[in-house]
Amino acid sequence: MEYKTTLTTCPYCGCGCGFYLESIDGRLVGTIPSKTSPVNKGKLCIKGWNVHEFVQHPNRLTRPLVRKNGELQEVSWDEALDYTADKLRNIKEASGPDSIAFFASAKVSNEENYLLQKFARAGVGTNNIDHCARL
Amino acid sequence: MSENIKTKVAELLSSGQIKGFLGLRSNEGHIGPYLFTNEAELDSLVVGDWKNRGDSRYPLNKCLINIACKYPEDTFGVLVRGCDERGLKALYTWNQLNPNKVVAVGIACPQELADACECLKPYPDECVDDEKAKACEQKAVSSIDALAIADRFALWIREFTKCVKCYGCRDVCPMCFCKECSVGSDDLIHTGQLPPEMPIFHLTRAVHMIGRCIDCGLCNEACPADIPLRTLYKKVADIIDKEFQYRPGYTDAKSPLNVL
Amino acid sequence: MTNSIDELENTDCIFVIGSNTTSSHPIIATRIFRAKQKGAKIIVADPRKIQLGMLADVEVQQNLGTDVALLNGIMHVIMDRGWHKQEFIDAHTEGFDAVKEVLKNYPPDKVSEITGVSADDIVKIAEYYATSEASSIVYCMGITQHTTGVDNVKSLANLAMMTGQIGRENTGVNPLRGQNNVQGACDMGGLPGVYTGYQAVTVPEVQKKFEAAWGASLSNKVGLTIPEMMSGVMSGSVKALYILGENPMVSDPDTHHVEKALKAAELVIVQDIFRTPTAELAHVVLPGVSFAEKDGTFSNTERRVLKVRQAVAPMGDARHDWEIIQDISTRFGYAMHYDSPEAIMKEISSVTPSYGGITYARLEGDGLQWPCPNAEHSGTKFLHKGGAFTRGKGMFFPIEYKAPAEVVDEEYPLWLTTGRVFAHYHTGTMTRRAEALNCEIPEAILEVNPADAGKLGIRTGDWVYLTTRRGKIAVKAQLTDWIKESIVFMPFHFVEANANVLTNTALDPICKIPELKVCAVKLEKVQ
Ligand code: SF4
Ligand code: SF4
Ligand code: SF4
Repeated sequence: MEYKTTLTTCPYCGCGCGFYLESIDGRLVGTIPSKTSPVNKGKLCIKGWNVHEFVQHPNRLTRPLVRKNGELQEVSWDEALDYTADKLRNIKEASGPDSIAFFASAKVSNEENYLLQKFARAGVGTNNIDHCARL
Repeated sequence: MSENIKTKVAELLSSGQIKGFLGLRSNEGHIGPYLFTNEAELDSLVVGDWKNRGDSRYPLNKCLINIACKYPEDTFGVLVRGCDERGLKALYTWNQLNPNKVVAVGIACPQELADACECLKPYPDECVDDEKAKACEQKAVSSIDALAIADRFALWIREFTKCVKCYGCRDVCPMCFCKECSVGSDDLIHTGQLPPEMPIFHLTRAVHMIGRCIDCGLCNEACPADIPLRTLYKKVADIIDKEFQYRPGYTDAKSPLNVL
Repeated sequence: MTNSIDELENTDCIFVIGSNTTSSHPIIATRIFRAKQKGAKIIVADPRKIQLGMLADVEVQQNLGTDVALLNGIMHVIMDRGWHKQEFIDAHTEGFDAVKEVLKNYPPDKVSEITGVSADDIVKIAEYYATSEASSIVYCMGITQHTTGVDNVKSLANLAMMTGQIGRENTGVNPLRGQNNVQGACDMGGLPGVYTGYQAVTVPEVQKKFEAAWGASLSNKVGLTIPEMMSGVMSGSVKALYILGENPMVSDPDTHHVEKALKAAELVIVQDIFRTPTAELAHVVLPGVSFAEKDGTFSNTERRVLKVRQAVAPMGDARHDWEIIQDISTRFGYAMHYDSPEAIMKEISSVTPSYGGITYARLEGDGLQWPCPNAEHSGTKFLHKGGAFTRGKGMFFPIEYKAPAEVVDEEYPLWLTTGRVFAHYHTGTMTRRAEALNCEIPEAILEVNPADAGKLGIRTGDWVYLTTRRGKIAVKAQLTDWIKESIVFMPFHFVEANANVLTNTALDPICKIPELKVCAVKLEKVQ
């Protein structure tokens, strides 16, 4: 039996509310606003209170997919990663680094955004990276 | 006071009387709910500094219900203040927790906290401390009672106008455990509207807390609109006490309204 | 935000414009409620009637897309009455004279005609904002999602600078970020022109620094923005799109255009947690993980860097997003070997002056607000302290009012504006999978003024068609006088009634924000 309370930060709006995610044996069961979090001080909005509900939804993507004969089909990670890297390399060789463009994301972490722009700039060699800040 | 608790909990854990102890832990600069399952972790057990951002009180009973649902055969310890103990008693009468599977470890509240809560009984029946704060006057209720009816109504409407419909008052409440909730039902109160219909949304909840609300104030603290919900529910509890001589959590008896 | 969320509680006047705060940022609304409780004046300007207006001291509903005119009108009054702070202007800013000239063209009567806001209200707003000891501006997408988005923001800056309501505690110009890590995505260089911490790709020293740090030669050419990428695909210059955690099929304006571009691309890589409409069009779909399954940091709207901690294991074979990117990069030929998000943060702080003092260990408790240049620095609560602007002096920009890109005509006689509802977020990918939220608001609803509805025989609950020059959708109508005559409102969270099939891709010329907040529509009852 494992009951955990993990303090983390809300994935929705830009307030950055802190809450504890309650989990039992690896399943999320609840959300409790953190009283010591500087922004929300024990309060949350309706989205925050229900944040645990979407995470382990049965519709989550759990396997990599590659389009074959027009259909997205489940493949191994190795295949998906090789396919992606090879295709990107070929396109860069054929059409130059600026033929590749990246969408960074307001929904992933700082570290992940950093890595993506590093890959775009240092790996591929393009500054074609932007995100939906405007939307 | 946390030393007394640590000793007590260490005993309970090492003797195998409880499978885990639901209390508060200080970690990475925050104080929050935590299930202690071995003695080595008890160093980080705290009771919360009430002056520091609210008072670090959490709906531990609600967490306990979550755990007990999954592990009904196991016994767990839980940290209780006066209000939490009232909550346990009431939850037993509503069959939400099994008294044989819960070991409450009680602490008394400092007078400042009791005053802030205007608490009628700021200590559990059994607690590790000797010093107990005194019961408090119900100033918030009487100051609103002193207003003319029209002003009273205006005051509440002004407060309800701020409601952002987070349902936090319900979601944090250790006494809200219904599967189908009236305040979230479109049949009673139109969903999707901000502010929610006034005053039905708030009065429906107030009525539903009759025979349930144990006056812990967690709803009040969770409300992003700072609506004095606790005062509203205290008033409702007063009316019920007057009519039925019943205050949930202060006795082991079932609510006289259970039959309704 | 130039200032901090907590400061709002202690201001003497809050001017909320283009933000339905109680719905989109309820926890910020808490601070506004408290400020009101303490006696602050609350000003609310929004084309729709909003909840916050119910407790405002002045509440106005300006016509859609007329913010510049409204703000110029307010500034005109401030000049006229001598409520501006000449001392502050002289000491800390430049370019005010040009603004003064422009303001002459915006007397309250004229502004009233453009905006539909009474001259009295304009004067009242000017008075409350300019003469309060500390005033703060709060704004959101209602200001930015216009072809004049940058003009709107600059006008707000003009207003704050001319009254000296910036660079002090409890003042400032405070955009509320719509998405949780917009701030972080910008800070981390998720923009075509800058590396982390807004270091420009065109500056040779910066380029050299990053070339040394990353061991690669780098381009000094500013990259493409998202709308430019889409056009690039159509013209053939862009072949591949790598889309991390975004859903442009629902979030971007003119969905049909986006769909064409995604279908035309040679390679579309989508890394996400659900099979979104965008993922449906991909060649490769990589399952990343949600916030609850990862460690890392987010930067909130007040520049506070906050820890994200893993609560549960990734679902199925889904992998941490940083690992996926690292693996692709390595296989591509640029090796990466981080062992944790913390290791990545170490590198971020080593190349980013404003994050220089940020380490995971220091993020305990309250986190840190950047700029935080070194390990001793305790972070920055508000920017431009004492009028010290990033460029030295604060720059005024004279701004003239321009009508929205698309205006109503005989064929499309109503204005459509889009926005959020309180129970949902962005494209609904996450919130619509939470049962409680779906019960609260299960479907898209079009808000229509009873007068407009009456003319077309529409009642609450009726299905209606909405048509623009770009597309047509069906949606259920709801009559409400919270929306003005000749305007209709609908949320954009619902893919089956996708508001962005209708919206205009016309862009702000400078920052390329699409005009999601205004376009012309035709409304018909479904027979
Ligand atoms: S209500 Fe307040 S004072 Fe009373 S027992 Fe609970 S925490 Fe203590
Ligand atoms: S005070 Fe509020 S949270 Fe506590 S029992 Fe009563 S209604 Fe529930
Ligand atoms: S906690 Fe407050 S804001 Fe939230 S639903 Fe209850 S009364 Fe409304």
